[in-house]
Amino acid sequence: MFKWITSVGENVHGMERMCAAFGQMLDEGRHVFVTAANAYLGGTDIEVIRQDLFDTDKRINHTEQQIRREIVIHTTSHGVNSVPQCLVLMSIAKDAERVGDYAKNIFDLAELNPKAPTGKFKEDLISLKDRISTLMVACREVFDLQDEKAARELIAEAKSIEDHCDHKISQLVSEGKNRELGVSYALAYRYFKRVTSHSFNVLTSIVQPLDKLDFSEPGPESRAG
Amino acid sequence: MNEPIQSPNLRWLNRLRLVLVLLLLFLFLVAIELLGSSFKAIGKDTAEQLVASVTNPFAGLSVGILATVLVQSSSVTTATIVGLVGSGQIPLSIAVPMVMGANVGTTITNTLVSLGHITRADEFRRAFAGATVHDFFNLIAVAVLFPLELATGFLRRSAVFMAAWLQPGMGGKLPNPLKDAVKAVSKQVVGGVESTGIQGGWLALALFVIALAMIVVALMLITKNMRVLMAHRIEGMLNDVLGRSGLLGLLIGIIITVSVQSSSITTSLLIPMFGSGILQLEGAFPIMIGANIGTTITALMAAMVAGEAGLIVALVHLNFNLTATLCFFPFRRIRNVPIICARGLADMAVKNRMWVVAYVGVVFVVIPALGILVFRWIGLT
Repeated sequence: MFKWITSVGENVHGMERMCAAFGQMLDEGRHVFVTAANAYLGGTDIEVIRQDLFDTDKRINHTEQQIRREIVIHTTSHGVNSVPQCLVLMSIAKDAERVGDYAKNIFDLAELNPKAPTGKFKEDLISLKDRISTLMVACREVFDLQDEKAARELIAEAKSIEDHCDHKISQLVSEGKNRELGVSYALAYRYFKRVTSHSFNVLTSIVQPLDKLDFSEPGPESRAG
Repeated sequence: MNEPIQSPNLRWLNRLRLVLVLLLLFLFLVAIELLGSSFKAIGKDTAEQLVASVTNPFAGLSVGILATVLVQSSSVTTATIVGLVGSGQIPLSIAVPMVMGANVGTTITNTLVSLGHITRADEFRRAFAGATVHDFFNLIAVAVLFPLELATGFLRRSAVFMAAWLQPGMGGKLPNPLKDAVKAVSKQVVGGVESTGIQGGWLALALFVIALAMIVVALMLITKNMRVLMAHRIEGMLNDVLGRSGLLGLLIGIIITVSVQSSSITTSLLIPMFGSGILQLEGAFPIMIGANIGTTITALMAAMVAGEAGLIVALVHLNFNLTATLCFFPFRRIRNVPIICARGLADMAVKNRMWVVAYVGVVFVVIPALGILVFRWIGLT
């Protein structure tokens, strides 16, 4: 109680605290993604990381719930002007939470399919994992700085990763090769793409208005129209 | 996305806001002084006739409820009562039940706020129960303490005792530059109105209307500006109270209400939190009790310029809420009574929305209005 009384005079910025909690979600999301992807690609023992992965996902979920609670309190105490900011945060916190879910899906894939990927797919997935991990680190930094220029560059990178995943999925489906591991590869590409898409959504919050969240910016032609 | 850290401009704006709040507080005190002047201008006989219309404590209680429901602010009602008692226009025996009535009347605001959730049953159940728990607490407090006060006068006696201790410090005997400044400005306003040629009853009416308008505007603007100034801290405190002990909630209720000068603001802030389910009745109840105590600060401020009698009324308001808290808060079984009542009413209201209309209408309008009419009819007002 005494500690609380002495802290009453401090100027607490609720939005700053919520953004810090969101940043923590992004960090932990990247951690679970890389951990799960390593397990799938054969770089880590599944049993060693299981507990850490599930605990981190739980923390992500708890942080999302904490942010939601604080959003209600923030809008209540700050009034209608705070609503757009809070709606954005509500939306991107969901994106950060979904990364944890997809990481678990990748982990499930590793558990269901003890054979690690091999050959060119393994190399490609490793390179993709590194690109996504770098994107996620940069996404956190750019979000903290609210750097629009850097956000646009990262959005382009995210799109490129998504296109690559789509291309690989169609290749796997149309070629019909790799019957043993094809489904697993396709799902891995699908999950990698979804993780990238959620980072993309977070990045759109920096450059897009509220109603255009999760969507690409229109090209110069459509803007002129 | 990120909220900018307070810029120098914003800091200056906040400082200006603080200065504005201090000026508004001064305006509020001038209004209280002016209220007394308006009754002096009306003439002793006419004033006595007017006040004689309410000489029964039950009618006083009803007037307190109705007046607060009408102005939607117990601060306005209690400050006005303090001003009127200070100028000798209302006897203490009537002012005390009026203050109790104001405590009941003020709870209508958050009940009305909870109606914003009426379209979603579960949300409404939580919000309405959250709002009416305050109503039930105050109604039970009046039901217990009002007869006790009539029988023993313990609230008045304790307030008189406390006032005797406080009065020298409140400006009765020691020189009080604030009171002098307030009187000087008030005299200027009276002189200004007199210079228009208005006299007698009309002058009194004009001064009364001006004083009342000044009280309402000053308190409204103080609340509005303090809410902006305190937004971050209120947010921090509300975050702190989630899942913490009752005593902290009580303290937070007092601090927020003293800061924004309105218990309705404090209790209404909680309604969306109830509606969304992040705050439970048991956790929020102490905040509401704290708001009851915190709201007494307005009458105490008004008492700074209202003399000993005004101070006694303000202390009655404080003692009433402190006694109610001490009677109900420490004992879980008693504390649960308003919670059980509020949950029961909310369940009924969800099943049939007419219960909402019936409850608000009967408790806040019909009973107080009948209280006044019946006593007038039998000649005991």
